[in-house]
Formats: sequence, structure tokens, C-alpha cells
Amino acid sequence: MASGSGSTTAITTKGLGKRYGSLWALQDCTISVPRGRVTALVGPNGAGKTTLLRMLVGLSRPSTGELAVLGRAPRQDPEFLSSVGYLAQDVPLYPRLSAEDHLRLGAHLNEGWDADGARSRLAALHVPTDRPVATLSGGQRAQVGLGLALAKRPRLLLLDEPVAALDPLARREFLTTLTEAVADGDLSVMLSSHLLHDLERVCDHVLLLSSSRAQICEDIDDLLASHRMLLGRRRDLTDIERSLTVIKATQTERQTRLLVRCDGPVLDPSWEITEVGLEDIILGYMGQGDVPLGGHLNALEEVR
Amino acid sequence: MNFMIWRLHGNQAYFAAAALVVLTTILLVTGSVMAHDYAVALASCGATSSCADIGSFLFRGDGAIMDLVDLTLVTPLLFGLFWGAPLLAKEFEDGTHSLAWTQGVTRARWLRTNVMWALLAAAVWGAAMAALVTWWHNPENALGARFGTFDVQGFVPVAYSLFGVALGIAVGSVIRRVLPALATTLALFLAIRVAIGIYLRPHYETPVAKLYSLLNGKAGQPANSWAISNSIVGPGGHNYGDQFSLNELPKGCASIFPGKGGGDGGMSSCLASHGFHQLVTFQPDTRFWAFQGIEAAIFVVLAAALIGFTFWRVLSRDA
Repeated sequence: MASGSGSTTAITTKGLGKRYGSLWALQDCTISVPRGRVTALVGPNGAGKTTLLRMLVGLSRPSTGELAVLGRAPRQDPEFLSSVGYLAQDVPLYPRLSAEDHLRLGAHLNEGWDADGARSRLAALHVPTDRPVATLSGGQRAQVGLGLALAKRPRLLLLDEPVAALDPLARREFLTTLTEAVADGDLSVMLSSHLLHDLERVCDHVLLLSSSRAQICEDIDDLLASHRMLLGRRRDLTDIERSLTVIKATQTERQTRLLVRCDGPVLDPSWEITEVGLEDIILGYMGQGDVPLGGHLNALEEVR
Repeated sequence: MNFMIWRLHGNQAYFAAAALVVLTTILLVTGSVMAHDYAVALASCGATSSCADIGSFLFRGDGAIMDLVDLTLVTPLLFGLFWGAPLLAKEFEDGTHSLAWTQGVTRARWLRTNVMWALLAAAVWGAAMAALVTWWHNPENALGARFGTFDVQGFVPVAYSLFGVALGIAVGSVIRRVLPALATTLALFLAIRVAIGIYLRPHYETPVAKLYSLLNGKAGQPANSWAISNSIVGPGGHNYGDQFSLNELPKGCASIFPGKGGGDGGMSSCLASHGFHQLVTFQPDTRFWAFQGIEAAIFVVLAAALIGFTFWRVLSRDA
């Protein structure tokens, strides 16, 4: 595993697993996320997203495997803790304290705290900094939480479902703040969410966890370039599986619809080949997302 | 770190300080009056007659003041409930531990600072209260049994306070929710305090045992001692406990049982004439401070063990 602050990977894991009792929340997770990426952490509920983020920030310890964050194993020392910003699910804040109080707490607890940056961001969004955070809206609290995480001037920012509870406007503002912060400096980000459209706007890398395992971990551009949707008459799939990786096959009586991974062009002219969006790829890997076309035809046939 | 403690728990500190000021004022005023009355009464009874009934001249405040002093008994429990139990449980319940533990201070330092301040507050508050109440009790202590107010004076209130806070923190580290942690702390505190008070305290030293004639009762038991047991002993040395069953009575006395015409109907003198005695065991007043020291040590050791457990629990396990 890479070591030292000059590491080119933000996150590296090898056979990482976390078990709660007899239940594996995350299993055999081997990934490598380059620095400077904004990674979308996606997957169904219970896939281990929160578990992974908590291990990355050092709140919980792996049951098996290894992990390196910014080239080092997460550990209890001020330097590591300062280099990783973390915003937990539901944005935990001290309800009776104001945003300003939180910023002052942060200043006492962290080296190199950027209170001015955080204040000006909050001011620009008209978030009241003198009222108890319990009285703020969900969007404002999320901004305070993000502000606290960014004020650490972290090199890695981990966000657990930060926009799940926000209305569309607050979501857009949150993601804009995030994008600006990424543009400002050497920052890697991993954020989990169910809202794939939002993620597509801000992320350039994707990590898909499903059934407690990592299914995809790569740049979104590469992912889009290597996946195609093939549509053609119904046929046996044995041949095609020799040259392509079939991620998902939807068969109707007459048609076969395939989501495939291919490293070169698909040469068989009997396929109608279309590009696929990130959402379809991810849903394909999750074994969900029945594409309506097949079902539609099927239904028609049954009616007839 | 200290700034954080102050910002989060400053209100509690102010409230506790205000309560301490009120308590101090009340006890200083009534205590001074009492000490003065005692000195005057002592001087006058010494000049005229015996001082045996000096206690009746003494101002003890009204019932409310007495109750207030007795109620200082529960303050260590209150520390456990309001300072101890929520310390970690509130962080876990609100999820703010994941905020606090991902800042630039280690979890160990965060925990050390929090626990230290809570213990310090309990120790200072407990010591101030114990000193006040001990001073307030001075005239009474000179007159009567100190063992009767063992729990509110001397060192033990400080030890109870440390124990209460440590217990609350330890429970909160396991239960992680404020209300259940409060309830559990309450139950455990009472159970442990009562169990030690009833089952252990009488045996810190072997009680002194003395035989008395059944005819003059406990007249010979040293003043202000703490009676542990009281039983009837037969001529052969057999201990009957504090009650006879009918068939255990000597033949001559069985006929006068149950006693008629008031009193015990001559039962005592009958038993005495058959060679029965009264056995009294007690802890003499002179052992008061030794007992205070032993009980305080027990609770300080318990508190230390609970804090050790808390550190193990918080630092070696996932957040």
C-alpha cells in the first residue's frame, strides 16, 4: 500500500470487511480512489456505505482487511483527524449552540481552522450564525455541517447522505458549495447519496456497493465509455458472453436487451447499440432498474 | 477542549454554583445560631445544674432546615443523574459524538477532559457540601450519635459524589440514550449505596459485644455508639436472637407468656433469674472516622473502576 503524504490515492482498501455480530455490513472490499476525485458512493440501503465511511474516518474499526486514507491507516492522532473532514448522516450538531458557537468550538479543537472561510460561505447563503442550530432549516443545518467539515481544510471530505433530507433548492446550494470547495484546492471527496442525478452533476468517480461488496470503483467517464446497451432479436447469450461482460440481460419473447461492458467496439451488426447513462449503469449493477421497453412489448403481446 | 466543555456545560455549572450559594447561606445562618445556642446552654447548665438535657435547649432550625440537611444525602445521586449519565449518553443520542470525535483532538483526550471536569465538579461540590454539613452538625455531634448522620458528613459525601458521576458516565457509555441511562444510574446507585450501607458498613470492624442484665436494659451501652444487634443469650451461651418461640422458654417462664397486665408481665425478671442475659453488639463512637475512611475508600475505588471501564469501553470499541 502507498504510504506518506505524497500518496497518489485518497483511499485504498484491501479485503476490507466489517462484521456486526454474525452479519457482514461490508465484505471483501478492495478499492482504490485517486486523489482529487469527487466520488459518488452509491448502493441500496444496507449496502455498507455508512460502514465504509465510518471506517475511513476512524470512528469504527475494520473486522478484516486493510485500509489507507491519504496513504495512512486511520488512527487517533490530531494530524490524521485534521486531514479528514466528515459529515455524518442527519448532520449531527449541538442543538442549543449556534453556528458561530460551533465555529468557535472547531477553532479550539483543530489546527489550521478556517473560520473566516466558513463564516463568509454561511453569510453568502444567509444562514443565521447567531441562533441555536435547532431553529435552523434542514438546508441551513446541512450548510453549517458542511462549513464545519470544510473549515478543517481537509484533504479528504467524507459526506454521508448529506442532501437526503433537503429540498431541491437547498440541495443545489449544498452541492454548489461543495463544488466550489473542490475547485478551490487539493481536496478529494466521497459522498453517499441515493440521488443519482445530483451525484452525476458533481461527481467524476463512482463507487458502487451492493450486497455488502464493491461492484464498481472507477471514473464516471471510463464507466460511460465502456458500457453500452445492446438491443436486438432474442437469442442465446452464450456467444456474446465470450467477448463481452453482460451486466444485465432483459429478455422478452422477441427481444434481448443487454447492458454490457466492452473494452472495444461491438462488431456484431445485428445489435442496435446505444450509449447508456450513469443511472442505468448503476441500476444495472444493482440488479434493478427494469428498463421499460421489454416489459412494454411483453404487455402488448399479452394483450394481443 | 476546555472551551468546549464550558460552552456545552457552562449553564449546569452556573446552576450548581447558585444552588451551592443558597445552601451555604441557609446552613451558615442556622448553623451559627445553633452553635451560639449550644455555647450559651453549655455555659448556663454548667453553672446551674446537670447538662444532661442540654439537647432540648438547642436550636435545630425548624423541620425544613433539618430536612434540607438530610436531603444533601441525595446530591451525589443528582450528580450521577445530571452530570454523569448524560455526559456520554447525550452525545450518542444526538449523534454529536461523531462530530466531536472527528475533530483534531483524539478521542482519548476528549474523553479525559470531559471525565476530568465532571469528576472535579462533583468533588468540589461534594466537598463544599460535606464540609458545610459537618460543621453544621458540630453541636449535635457533641451531643448525640454521629453514626445516625454518617452519610451526610465527613469524607463520604465526596466519595459518593465521585462514585455517582463515575457510575452515570459508565452507564451512559453502555446504554447510549439519556433516559434509560438515567433510570439505570438511579437504580444502580441506590442498590449499591443501600447494599453497602446495610450489609458491609456494620462489619468494617468487628462489633464490640457486651452482655447486660435483662433487668437494667441497655443502660451500660456506651453513649453515642451504633447498635448493631440485640439478642437474648441463655445460661448455656445459646443465642436466641431477639425473639423466643414458646417452646424455647424455660419451664418456669412459659406460664407467664404472653404477659398480662402491662409490661412484659415479669418475663424479663423471670428470664434473668434463670440466667438469661441480653447481648448487645455495637460500634463505638470512637470508630466514626475510621468507618468514614473505609467507606470513602470503597466508593473511590468503585469510582476509579467505573472510570477505567468507561475508558476501555469508549476507546477500544467502535463509536
